Amino acid sequence: MAVSVGELDLHSVSDALARRDLTSVEATEGYLGRIAEHDRVLQSYITVMADQALARAKTADTESERGRRRGPLHGVPIALKDLIAVAGVRMTSGSQLFADHVPTRDAFVTRRLYDAGAVILGKVAMHEWAFGRPATEGPFPTGRNPWDVGRAPAGSSSGSAVAAAAGLCAGALGSDTGGSIRGPAAMCGLVGHKPTYGLVSRSGVLAMCWSLDHVGPMTRSVWDSAALLQAIAGADPDDTSTRGARTQDYLGGLEGGARGLRLGILRRFYVDWSGLNDEVRAAAVTAFDVLKGEGAALTDVDAPSLELSMAAWAPFLAETYEYHKEHLRTRPEGYRESLRPRVYMGALFTAADYLRAQRLRERLRRDVEALFERVDLLVFPGQAAPALRFEDFPMKGLTTPAMRYTAPWNLLGLPAVVVPCGFSREGLPMSIQIVGRAFDDATVLRLARAYERATDWHTRRPDPARWRR
Amino acid sequence: MADQQRAQFDAEVRAAGLTLGDRDLELLYEMWLDWLPQRDRLRAEVPALEDEPWR
Repeated sequence: MAVSVGELDLHSVSDALARRDLTSVEATEGYLGRIAEHDRVLQSYITVMADQALARAKTADTESERGRRRGPLHGVPIALKDLIAVAGVRMTSGSQLFADHVPTRDAFVTRRLYDAGAVILGKVAMHEWAFGRPATEGPFPTGRNPWDVGRAPAGSSSGSAVAAAAGLCAGALGSDTGGSIRGPAAMCGLVGHKPTYGLVSRSGVLAMCWSLDHVGPMTRSVWDSAALLQAIAGADPDDTSTRGARTQDYLGGLEGGARGLRLGILRRFYVDWSGLNDEVRAAAVTAFDVLKGEGAALTDVDAPSLELSMAAWAPFLAETYEYHKEHLRTRPEGYRESLRPRVYMGALFTAADYLRAQRLRERLRRDVEALFERVDLLVFPGQAAPALRFEDFPMKGLTTPAMRYTAPWNLLGLPAVVVPCGFSREGLPMSIQIVGRAFDDATVLRLARAYERATDWHTRRPDPARWRR
Repeated sequence: MADQQRAQFDAEVRAAGLTLGDRDLELLYEMWLDWLPQRDRLRAEVPALEDEPWR
């Protein structure tokens, strides 16, 4: 094999496959080799599907030899967060309780990836039930940040981020209820895309909060995320939230540039927040200048009801409690001690709290809709701080400070992408976040690509020589 | 004040029908106390007529 997959983004793997410089079997073997070599330290995979992946890769190669290429994902090895079903392959949700759970049907997004010719390499680590905390021990460790293995990748789609950033897959899918795609993507120097609510089906995906759960891509470049979104977006009769799904050509408009776009900087709530890390603030402000240099028009905007967004997010945990109630009653020991109180908290919100939260969500929606009459996109820092050491990660508390940057956009269901915008003095990735109008994910990706094209942050790779413990 | 808060918490746990071990109960109490200002804020907010739940 002339091509070493570990350094490549999904786009480059796809191009190499299209040119026949690389076969899918070679790509799959390349990733499997890297997993065997590095994942003992990185802890990103829960289940490696080597035999199934090689069989799919062989089929993809046979189709290519016969002149059939299904599209940009043909033969491309992808990893799935271990709450996305693959028929016949155990799906743990990072929980001891589901250690032997084997779904009988593929998730909708799994079927879509297979239809697009992708190879599923395996199921990757995550925070327990998408709401637990980082863990380095126990049956399902949550993964180590490839930029510094003493630090957490954040979560809950931790393994998706680690595997994609470390080149142990070409790209991954994660899920996001309060920031679980964008947080780990930001911490690991990736593009992470929480699509519009209702654009991507959750059928066959284990839930955290039905009203706030999203499934989306985590990749090394914007093109990669657009290609994955193109494959998985669209209506699914088994997820009624997707009945109004309006898909777009996500790859076609990517190179449209920033010129002519009106960007609103949420300065008061995000940039000026005293809890924001100074290096992240400085990197984000520099990124805004880059976007201005690319021809975008920037203006400061504000949505006062953002102040209420965390208070309005938490009552949705009543849904989490409802989902887990029976298991918690019969097998509480099946949950880590750090997770149990978070789930029990969902029982202490009243129906009135839940409805109040719904009403405040509507107020926030109106505030933000008004902003979108003046601007096309909202831009702000993608995270509160760079990746934390495991020992510094907040293990207590219902939410984390970092969720301020992500959870409001779950409440509103708007498309949100993080894209790398620099590195801290300690060599840790930092990012900006871009939010757009509902079902206009294409414009969010277009601006992310315009920024990416003007910078080289996305081309940097973590050093495997440092993956030692 | 602390006694009052603890009594309120215990009443809410009972109303929710939770039966927890001592350790879980203490961890939950700690989290509930920590979250109380946010919950008070939620409950103190007066919605406008047009702040209707998503339909």
